[in-house]
Amino acid sequence: MQTENSINDDYGPRRLTVELANICNLHCSYCFRAEDNLYSSHAEFFPLELLRRVVNEAQTTANITMVGFTGGEPTLHPFFAETLQAIGDAGLKVSFVTNGWHFDRVWPAIQANRASVSHVAFSLDGVTRETHDRWRGKGSFDRLVRAFSRCYMSKLPFTIKIVIRRDLVDQLEQVAIFAARMGAASLHFGHVMPTSNGVADDSALSLDEQRVAEEEIAILARIFKMKIGIDVGYYNIDERRPPCAPLAATNMNIDFRGRLSLCCNLSGFRGSAADELDVVADLNVESFASAYARFMEVAAAQLENRKTALAAFRSQATTPDLYTGSPCLFCLQSFGKIPWHSKSI
Amino acid sequence: MSSSNLTPGKHVVVTDFDGGEGILVDLNTKRYYQLNETAMAVWKGLAQGKTTGEIAADLTSNYEVALDKASLSVQRIVDNFQTYKLVSAE
Repeated sequence: MQTENSINDDYGPRRLTVELANICNLHCSYCFRAEDNLYSSHAEFFPLELLRRVVNEAQTTANITMVGFTGGEPTLHPFFAETLQAIGDAGLKVSFVTNGWHFDRVWPAIQANRASVSHVAFSLDGVTRETHDRWRGKGSFDRLVRAFSRCYMSKLPFTIKIVIRRDLVDQLEQVAIFAARMGAASLHFGHVMPTSNGVADDSALSLDEQRVAEEEIAILARIFKMKIGIDVGYYNIDERRPPCAPLAATNMNIDFRGRLSLCCNLSGFRGSAADELDVVADLNVESFASAYARFMEVAAAQLENRKTALAAFRSQATTPDLYTGSPCLFCLQSFGKIPWHSKSI
Repeated sequence: MSSSNLTPGKHVVVTDFDGGEGILVDLNTKRYYQLNETAMAVWKGLAQGKTTGEIAADLTSNYEVALDKASLSVQRIVDNFQTYKLVSAE
């Protein structure tokens, strides 16, 4: 059967992803960030001075043109306005991903730095109060809609990000219609990053279900004017080019502790083994330049690891399983982020 | 005209903007409605349970406008709210 695939082969601008805060105000059960960081340990916020230094060095060393803030919830950073300003002062564009809960509070900071804020990415869990708030708590949906309203009226482009849980897989078209009607510039789907057998069984899709969902998203991408794609977890065994921005070494993650690591989806992964093989360097004590050289080595080595894994399937004339065919799941497994899965196979 | 039992629909999300303007989102139709300062004042008045007459009187207190003109404006705005099913009778 001839099908369409929905893989986005555009790596986007060369950029840093910076975790501004370890904490989050919401408790989404499928979140892949370590619970200790989110809720139990004390709040840690990315230091402003470190941010300024690293961004400067990354401009020179890695030619970045953009910084994306993530977390935790980045708007909880006590100097959020200053973090936006720091990126603007460097002459770069900045975006951030948020649950929207505190958007009213940070709106003046966004307006003050409007020239450098390229867009905002909002996390959505459903297209109604009931479906969204079921995951994110009462009042979340209305706050999110108010945030959309502010962006829409102020012509600030915004993106909607939504995880394709099993309960949502039949509503992809409704999600696209909702995003389009809200005026989103783009819609980014992502597969569930499983943190336990329970989450994998309850919420994540099987390989066949993923394939159907990705075909549907490809069709939606063709129908809608709004840009639609899949950011996370997609199945991609095309070896002609790196499957994602981190492995193409065009997107570098820095965690809330100031450590350079391979990918924001691996960073502080819930339930992972103690070894953090994806962490490349502590930028508190090392320059970005020397760390970046090692970052590229780690990315290149991981790319080779995956080629070897894919070749093993090819030699047996079998289709790669989900945990090899999906670059995200392959990295989770090979970097020891999902020990429960390794034990179960 | 002086009485009203209309209230903002529960399916409508309102956002205040600087300068008194606002925007409504109808969650049923997923449509935006941009409100100018006067329309926003009417919306807020309805949310506070005021009658159209009371809202018109408020407008004359806050703006240089005669009561008859304010009343006409309020009624026109309320009619629009009703047309688009943004308000409902209690």
